[in-house]
Amino acid sequence: MVEKKEYKEWPPYAPGTYVRESDIRDKKITYTWWEPEVQYSWSLGQAMSKFLLGLKEGKIYGIHCKPCKRVLVPPRMFCEYCYGPTEEWIELPDTGIIETFSISYLDPDARRIEDPILVGVVDLDGTPPHHGFMHYFGEMTKDEIKIGMKVKAVWKPENEREGSITDIKYFKPLKGGGD
Amino acid sequence: MGFLEKQTDPTSPMHWRGDMQADYFYPSGVAGDKFFKHLMENDTFLVSKCTKCNKTYCPPRLYCEDCYVEIPNENWKEVPPMGRVKLYTVAKLNAHGKKLATPKIMALIDIEGTNSAMLGIIASGDIKKDFSGVKVKAIFRQKDMREGTIKDILYFEEI
Repeated sequence: MVEKKEYKEWPPYAPGTYVRESDIRDKKITYTWWEPEVQYSWSLGQAMSKFLLGLKEGKIYGIHCKPCKRVLVPPRMFCEYCYGPTEEWIELPDTGIIETFSISYLDPDARRIEDPILVGVVDLDGTPPHHGFMHYFGEMTKDEIKIGMKVKAVWKPENEREGSITDIKYFKPLKGGGD
Repeated sequence: MGFLEKQTDPTSPMHWRGDMQADYFYPSGVAGDKFFKHLMENDTFLVSKCTKCNKTYCPPRLYCEDCYVEIPNENWKEVPPMGRVKLYTVAKLNAHGKKLATPKIMALIDIEGTNSAMLGIIASGDIKKDFSGVKVKAIFRQKDMREGTIKDILYFEEI
């Protein structure tokens, strides 16, 4: 059994030793550096697979929940409102409105940037209101962007598409009611 | 269509593959830094001894973990890189569960003149042998190849 000890004298406050980037670079301190190989393979499932393969062909697929009379995009195999299976695939237009947006002065690696990135949720035409997915916005400035603005997808050239959400480069403002 | 369309081929859904960057950086600390810098120049271990309870640490500590007393510089000393095997195990698989070509003997070695033990590899092809209590000595990298990590100790060898 371990006896409980009473400590009357505590060591004085130790301020700690800072490690600077230059200490590491110039090898002033000893350290262990390890780069583990961390690979992942994320199964997308049926609905998401169809959606992403659709993007490769330049099509945006949604799926219809008949009892709730709504279109889900990105598609899911069941409706989270009625828990029923979703059944009918439909092709959606690549136009919509900006549901919400952010002006980000941080890049995807959280580095500070001068020119902000515009990101937000696109509510595609033909889907119920307040229903969409996240994407980039382009060909507009941070002063021009506003909620409710009509936008259209700018696609990558067909040979560069790989079945990823980034097969759409960004959404640009739609002027004059579409083309 | 949709949900009712049964899926039987597990390879048909798309898989998103990627590499996660998860670099691991571990500075040796104030005491560890002294220990490894000493090891880069010498073939001995640097240890520290508590002023109050005389417990000797290898690798050295700045504070005694039992009495919380700061260990002054004059209580640091060198010990020969020798000891006795306290515990050992024979590894036949590597960290990823793959079979090793030659089994590895990993041991916890009581360092002579200290109250601490260090993990190390015993270089021996005889995996049937009982290594408990066997006296061993550390074999280091060539001095100009040392990099200031625990890998500077290549293995322990039976004396």
